[in-house]
Amino acid sequence: MVFAIRFATRYSPFATRNVMFDKILIANRGEIALRVLRACKELGIATVAVHSTADADAMHVRLADESVCIGPPPSKDSYLNVPALLAACEITGADAVHPGYGFLSENARFAEILADHNLHFIGPKAEHIRLMGDKIEAKKTAKKLGIPVVPGSEGAVGPDDDAMAIAKAIGFPVLVKAAAGGGGRGMKVAQTADELALALSTAAHEAKSAFGDASVYLEKYLQKPRHIEIQVLGDGRGGAIHLGERDCSLQRRHQKVWEEGPSPVLTAAARARIGATCAKAMQNMKYLGVGTIEFLFEDGEFYFIEMNTRIQVEHPVTEMITDIDLVLEQIRIAAGGELPATQDQIQIIGHAIECRVNAENPQTFRPSPGRISRYHPPGGLGVRIDSAVYQGYVIPPYYDSLVGKLIVHGKTRAECLMRLRRALDEMVVDGIETTLPLFRALVREPAIIDGDYHIHWLEQYLAGSPAVS
Amino acid sequence: MARQPDDTAAAKIKSDDAALIRELALLLDETSLTEIEIERAGLRIRVARNITIAAGMPAGFQPAAAAAPVATAATTVADIAKHPGMVPSPMVGTAYWASEPGAKPFIEVGSKVSVGQTLLIIEAMKTMNQIPSPRAGTVTQILIEDGQPVEFGEPLVIIE
Repeated sequence: MVFAIRFATRYSPFATRNVMFDKILIANRGEIALRVLRACKELGIATVAVHSTADADAMHVRLADESVCIGPPPSKDSYLNVPALLAACEITGADAVHPGYGFLSENARFAEILADHNLHFIGPKAEHIRLMGDKIEAKKTAKKLGIPVVPGSEGAVGPDDDAMAIAKAIGFPVLVKAAAGGGGRGMKVAQTADELALALSTAAHEAKSAFGDASVYLEKYLQKPRHIEIQVLGDGRGGAIHLGERDCSLQRRHQKVWEEGPSPVLTAAARARIGATCAKAMQNMKYLGVGTIEFLFEDGEFYFIEMNTRIQVEHPVTEMITDIDLVLEQIRIAAGGELPATQDQIQIIGHAIECRVNAENPQTFRPSPGRISRYHPPGGLGVRIDSAVYQGYVIPPYYDSLVGKLIVHGKTRAECLMRLRRALDEMVVDGIETTLPLFRALVREPAIIDGDYHIHWLEQYLAGSPAVS
Repeated sequence: MARQPDDTAAAKIKSDDAALIRELALLLDETSLTEIEIERAGLRIRVARNITIAAGMPAGFQPAAAAAPVATAATTVADIAKHPGMVPSPMVGTAYWASEPGAKPFIEVGSKVSVGQTLLIIEAMKTMNQIPSPRAGTVTQILIEDGQPVEFGEPLVIIE
């Protein structure tokens, strides 16, 4: 472990600065930590990797300029341990923290604490994180900003509200959603009026235990929507652009499995319209950094579901079709830099697909941590692997099961699919079970080849499909 | 791939061949080569050293350090980490031997300590944290410098 002691540079976090950060502490792990490290190195910024004892052999820890072990394996004692992260900033002299995704990336309090300690949080302003973190407030804000929303209750449905009347006004089936939820968690469907009471109580109970807040709200349940999200980028001073969409309809238990851009069903005109709406909203908010506005899309209509105020797992899809390094731009913008392009300069070139390869059984999805005995990532033109694993690496059981992301780009969707098929067939991850067989099956599946799927498609496929080999 | 010598030639290992193999093996030992292969009319000999890869190191991944020196250093560090008397740091911060600059250090090599006795201070964000001894015994090694930054789990002292 190498240390370099220095005094942290004292900048007011809210003044415009055109000086790049000297040293970034990467407050995350796995593939995204490596991703952030790569951007830092390309910007010539010194890197500090913090890690739990379970991640001492992680690739980004090996590659970072300095590393600090911050705690034992449990996330709450390490990656979520704010005092340890602050102490690590102090002893290394880091002047900025990149939170990655998950963990503290959407924790407004963490962003504020960093500011109190004269450290830069590479992400949106704390007030916007807070605003979009509350799903009810986010929806109200979206509505005010002119973003179309899913018909639903006006705010939380309390014990005094006539939930049945609200639900009937929306029209069954309805979805009961946790206000403090997000990322697909804390949702229950009531298909008919009879199911409403149970859905309400179950959702509230789960919300209380998972998020500490039992508040729920109602939304119209769309039958076969697609999940289409818009990537936005703001400079914090009123400038903002959109970088097109990603279609993330293929999900299992609300977790995205396969993402692609552009969406097979959006026309250039529809993209321009929804993109402009989102960009305008971000300009009005003076949004800072990257963000993703998520919609359900059905019968040509967009319905806002939530906004994620962080870099997302599937950001490489957008990078491949716009040729813009989103993590690099995050860092540049956080340091006071300009947007990389005007809206007119943003071009969507070709097609990209990302497969999230997990350490799970491809049929039961039971987690399969352990040692990767043999590893061969695919390569070639238009093939990208965002992964921190290597041959001999042991996937720890304490964190998520992502082995890596395989992202493929092609001039057309057809070329992209052929290249993806080739890359998936070439990829080797032995020693653990992975979901590679699932992707090899999906890339050959007619509905996927046609781009004809929706957010329930994958679960229906998994329920009815023959064994994948 | 070179053409294999035919079976009849390979079956007869002449005494000259045995001497040659012995010589190649000695050569392998003297140099840092891992493999020597020679071929001449009808005979190909290959002598190779068995390599075991240390557990935990990814095959083929070489940080730019020579293998031998790193192995020696790693053993020593690993020895300390596994020492039964090793006291690891419970937190991230800066370790100090004394309660303030100029004051007498809490312990020195040879000090006898009891359970709970303060060994040193670790400072993080202006808060001073006294680090208690987990056991009674004698301080045999102090592994960190005064004012050294430490990470979670870093060996601080050895108490036997």
